[in-house]
Amino acid sequence: MNAEASASNKQKREKREKPSLWKTISIVFDSRVATVGVVMVSFWLVIAGVSLFWTPYDPNSSDFIQNLSPNATNWLGTDHMGRDLLSRLMQGTQVILLKTRLPGGDHSIPGGVAIWGVLGSLILGAILGLNAGYRRGWTDQIIMQVLDALIAFPQIVLYLVVIAALGQGDLVVILAITITGAPGVARLARSLALDIQTRDYIRAAETRAESVWFIMFREILPNARGPLLVDAMLRVGYAIFMIGTLGFLGIGLPPPDPDWGSMVNEARKYIFVNQLAVIWPALSIATLVIGLNLFADGLREELMRYQK
Amino acid sequence: MIRFLVRSVVSTIVTILLVSIGLFLLIEVGSGDISVKILGVFATPEQRASYRAQLGLDAPVWQRYLDWLIGNDWWAKSRMTYPLITLKNTKTKETEWWADVGGQATRWKMEKGELKRLLRQEDGFSKAVPAVSDWIKGENSEYFFWGVDNRNNAVKFVKGAGEEVWVLTKAGLRKQGDGPRKYIPLRKGLIRGDAGMSWQYNRPVSVVLKPRIRNTLILAGVAFVVVMPLALFFGILAGINEGKPLDRIVSITSLGATATPEFVTGIFLIMIFGIWLKVLPAVTLFTSSDAIFKNPTMLILPVLTLTAVELGYVARMTRASMVEVMDSAYIRTAIVKGMPYWRVVFRHAIRNALMAPITIIMLHVNWLIGGVVVVEVIFGYPGLGKFIFDSAIFGDFSAIEAAAMVTVLIAIITRLIGDLAYTLLNPRVRYA
Repeated sequence: MNAEASASNKQKREKREKPSLWKTISIVFDSRVATVGVVMVSFWLVIAGVSLFWTPYDPNSSDFIQNLSPNATNWLGTDHMGRDLLSRLMQGTQVILLKTRLPGGDHSIPGGVAIWGVLGSLILGAILGLNAGYRRGWTDQIIMQVLDALIAFPQIVLYLVVIAALGQGDLVVILAITITGAPGVARLARSLALDIQTRDYIRAAETRAESVWFIMFREILPNARGPLLVDAMLRVGYAIFMIGTLGFLGIGLPPPDPDWGSMVNEARKYIFVNQLAVIWPALSIATLVIGLNLFADGLREELMRYQK
Repeated sequence: MIRFLVRSVVSTIVTILLVSIGLFLLIEVGSGDISVKILGVFATPEQRASYRAQLGLDAPVWQRYLDWLIGNDWWAKSRMTYPLITLKNTKTKETEWWADVGGQATRWKMEKGELKRLLRQEDGFSKAVPAVSDWIKGENSEYFFWGVDNRNNAVKFVKGAGEEVWVLTKAGLRKQGDGPRKYIPLRKGLIRGDAGMSWQYNRPVSVVLKPRIRNTLILAGVAFVVVMPLALFFGILAGINEGKPLDRIVSITSLGATATPEFVTGIFLIMIFGIWLKVLPAVTLFTSSDAIFKNPTMLILPVLTLTAVELGYVARMTRASMVEVMDSAYIRTAIVKGMPYWRVVFRHAIRNALMAPITIIMLHVNWLIGGVVVVEVIFGYPGLGKFIFDSAIFGDFSAIEAAAMVTVLIAIITRLIGDLAYTLLNPRVRYA
């Protein structure tokens, strides 16, 4: 009897949630800006998906003449080592969006470096921010002080030194994105928690003598998810931006798998001979990041319109 | 207000301490054996050990941190017979450590088992005289002496038991007998204004860093002067025309510019102006230290790159804030009561619309420093960012620490200015 009741309750809840989920998604298409963003991002997602199974040629083998301009066999030309640029561009999406290579082996886990990095900073930032915002007092002071130091910390030094310590690797880049992203997320989560904790349902939970962690993660966090998600979307853009910059500086994702930033960096030395090898990956990074930004912007505007 | 100031000063100091400790630990764990970078991969383990001892790297971590922060001359002094003094080298203008023996600046060396005083002459050179009487009898009936050597170290000589040391000279490593047993590389510490020696350049950090900071300030300053009026202008323009084609154009262009990484923008600019049109120099070549003043065209592309990224960001912030203000009731009232439109915008809207961008711009400076690193690396501009990049790759501890302290200070000072500007613009804000 009891189990049945809870099951029917669950069903009811699912019924209630489903249309609201679809509503949330369809909001995106209400805004022209967000639609353009979604199209740009899905374009790259599709390419990433295709590249998992098929690329025109092997991205890492030097099969062709160096620095060819676009032609019938190599649609986008070849790079300074005679590798097909289209294949490399396609494969370049994988490390960002689809897979993370684990150290010391051929294994990789699903979810790209940018995705895991942002997820990491969301988790770390939410823990710090909720604690600071809900507990307040000394905890708040200490956490904010540490975060201030982290924000003031010159990020490029952080990367260089962490990478020098742990060696180049996908996990290191994830760690770097996590650490540099967390303070921002924490600040946002803190301000949201400060606002939400004045509500009555938090008083109610406190009266029920719920544990602090329950209140923070089951009462406050779900009510703060909207702004946090929009922020996370923007952060994925920044993370890709950052991966590109690190690759450009020669300290990003390890070879031999192509990564757009390092492609720009390598091709830059031959810029007088072959400008297209620089242009393609540069354009790719720009379009993907712009797409994510448009998406997040449109989403935020629509959400705010609903709030009004 | 006073309480606010005290609080922010204390918090600043704590932040700086935390950053410096964090950096120190990271570099300690991260950068590996510095002797590999300086001596090369072919040096023997003995050579490395000797060289590390000369750099004072055989001391424990906490002691090296304290030495860096508050100096070590004060505790080196307690072991020495004669008081330490610092003198300016007349040629290099760098500070040198000497011992004061009755008014005579003196250093010591051991030669063929004998201790010698090096007396400083007027012309900066020194004269060697025997100094057998300086030996001090210690425990186990050995004779020792703490003096200052030629390389600004406090050193401990032991009679009849000179260490074999490897000294780095211009021609490479040279073996020397009769070396000291222990080295303390003398330094005053950061809080007393001595940033230490750069291992990469083998000169004091302050000497190497100063022109770099100047160059970066010129670059960032010019960029700031170009960006701010333009960004505020376009932001306000887009904000008062919300939804119109003009707003769309400004918004989309600025979004595109912000979302394009600096290195992409920089390379496109190099390609267009340096390679295709051949009108502007694609790199900054510093043939002399004041090359930017002789040939200011070198600055154009780096400044344009920084501008592209920052302009979009600030313009977007200004636009958003302007839209919000123009939407508010008091603006509507002002328009309805028949005030000229431009007057409503200039007298009523702008002041309130500028509050948000100003604080955000000031918080944004740290991010700008990251952008400066990339721009300086692309264009080979010898500034602070490239200095940080090079020193971090080299593992040059004192250099990274000093440069990082400068960037942290810049970040904190701009944040304070932002806070103050906010209070000036917004009389409602009162600090409890």
